[in-house]
Amino acid sequence: MSAAAATTDRVIGYSRAINEALAEEMRRDERVWMMGQDIGRLGGVFGLTRGLLDEFGPMRVRDTAINETFIVGGAAGAALAGTIPVVELQFADFLFTAADEIFHKLAKWRYMHGGQFTMPVVVRLPTGVVGGAGAEHSQSLETIAMHVAGLKVAVPATPSDAKGLLKAAIRDPDPVLFFEHKGLYRVKGPVPESDEHVVPFGSARIARPGSDLTVVATGLMVDRALAAAEQLAPQGIDVEVIDPRTLVPLDIDTIVSSVERTHRLMVVHEASRTAGFGAEIAAQVHERAFFALDAPVWRVCGTDTPLPQDPDLEQACIPSTDEIVTAALALAAI
Amino acid sequence: MNSPGPTAEQVQLEVYRKVVTIRFAELRIREHVEKEGFGGFWHPGIGQEGLQVGAVSAMQPDDYLYYAHRGLGYAFAKGMELEPLFGDLLGRRTGSTGGKGGGTVHFADASRHVMGQGGTLGSSFVMGAGTAAASQLLGDGRVTVVFFGDGASGRGTWHEAALQASVWKLPVVWICENNGWALSARFTEQSPTEHVADRAPAYGIPGVVVDGQDAMAVREVTLEAIERARRGEGPTLIEAKTLRIRGHYEGDRQPYRDDPVLGDEIPNDPVHRLGEGIADDVRRGIDAEARALVDRAFDAALAAPRADDSVIFEDVWA
Repeated sequence: MSAAAATTDRVIGYSRAINEALAEEMRRDERVWMMGQDIGRLGGVFGLTRGLLDEFGPMRVRDTAINETFIVGGAAGAALAGTIPVVELQFADFLFTAADEIFHKLAKWRYMHGGQFTMPVVVRLPTGVVGGAGAEHSQSLETIAMHVAGLKVAVPATPSDAKGLLKAAIRDPDPVLFFEHKGLYRVKGPVPESDEHVVPFGSARIARPGSDLTVVATGLMVDRALAAAEQLAPQGIDVEVIDPRTLVPLDIDTIVSSVERTHRLMVVHEASRTAGFGAEIAAQVHERAFFALDAPVWRVCGTDTPLPQDPDLEQACIPSTDEIVTAALALAAI
Repeated sequence: MNSPGPTAEQVQLEVYRKVVTIRFAELRIREHVEKEGFGGFWHPGIGQEGLQVGAVSAMQPDDYLYYAHRGLGYAFAKGMELEPLFGDLLGRRTGSTGGKGGGTVHFADASRHVMGQGGTLGSSFVMGAGTAAASQLLGDGRVTVVFFGDGASGRGTWHEAALQASVWKLPVVWICENNGWALSARFTEQSPTEHVADRAPAYGIPGVVVDGQDAMAVREVTLEAIERARRGEGPTLIEAKTLRIRGHYEGDRQPYRDDPVLGDEIPNDPVHRLGEGIADDVRRGIDAEARALVDRAFDAALAAPRADDSVIFEDVWA
């Protein structure tokens, strides 16, 4: 590969970007391996691991039984013994099925044992609504992961970040919950060709610069916030869209400095409203930039309900572009 | 390396030395808890030391150990010193966890492959299987040994781990210390089968029942299971029958217990059984050294500084 080609951006899908990250990291470091349900022969229910069994063989791409406590708890034990497991739970919702392993074993083992161990585990979690998957296959649970100390949390919104954050996650000595949005799997975007495209955790991305109102959004909501911003621009409201990219660590500095310029903040998330990460960001911005605010911090969020299975009802439970536009107009008018 | 291994007599002497050391440690800790009170829970392992030491004596130094919560026998047998173990018990900076482990349930020594313990029983079923999966992937020839109690045998993690470990033929050995009681729950009332080991055939693995008061017998079955695992033939479930001499924790008055509370009597005491074949003067010498070792280590741990607030923010992240 020529030096020029190594830095070329290609347009590829979010799924392809994740697949590339997995393959490149497994080529780079033979301690990296994967397990999960249907990830081998099938290539994953969403096709994310397609081709990896052929390249890396059944010892590094291992199909498991339906046993989430083993998938995550086994990964924890395998990490303590010098390997780097990257495991897939078929749906992010299944983190409750492996809750003890995630919130206790991954998050606390190092701490409880006086720092003698590291826990380099990545748990890939297909998250969010995807069109009729139902109440136990559609949730956005990233806030719960934020609340338990010891877990890093990535929420990539673009193919480029999906690849770069996953590579960073695999290279991180700490456990990472990697929330891949199912609704973004088919979205395409520019991704650097380089094997060293690594996006550091804790660095927010300004997805669109603006001067009148800051909108913080993650995952599927980033595109909706950007679409809303385009509708608002002709109406004289210049929206800045910030994608934190990781929630742990959270780049609050970028958000605060944006608010100090725009004086208004709205947080948009697909997760339920109550005690979502919007509440945390609102609290931190109030603590750090209260006098910069010209209006209260608003949240546009998922409903405080389980998600219905009907695809139309499901969409009614999460923020739409129109809702973001309407809320932004009202907030800008305060 | 053509040097002959230790003789059977040498092995028994070493197992005896470790078992009796742990017995003195148990008694010293009990004395401390009774006299001084104690901020955590001490789950005594008195009477179960023989099976712990016997089983661990079958392990190689590089093999991985996940212990259970009854005492210190497992870790001491794997080569940890007493002072850091007592340090954990007493919340000292010199504890193996730097004062964060709490009680004696989270001690660890990464260099000796003492892998620690979760606070939720049964979590080491899946973690141990995963550690064994890492050994299989790396081809490092190591075997993982996981201890658990009859109470933890009720966890679903057992099923998930045993199933996958058997299918993958992972090098893991599970050792159940069946002392008959899970806090207030009698094993006989919570198990549909006479033995925990009866469940092994469902997973296509050997299930072995052994007298847990006979340290050398436990060593023998563990050696066999470890060698089987190392040959790539998969896991074994060993059940060592033992007794819970004291309460769930020291100070537990056991109002639920309707069998004669054993108190200080240790039927079929592993210390006595191991000591039978050892000349009196040799045994007395070992006992005196063990007691002195325990006293020195406990005094040193008591004299060490307590962990202060500075440890709270340490080790959250690598």
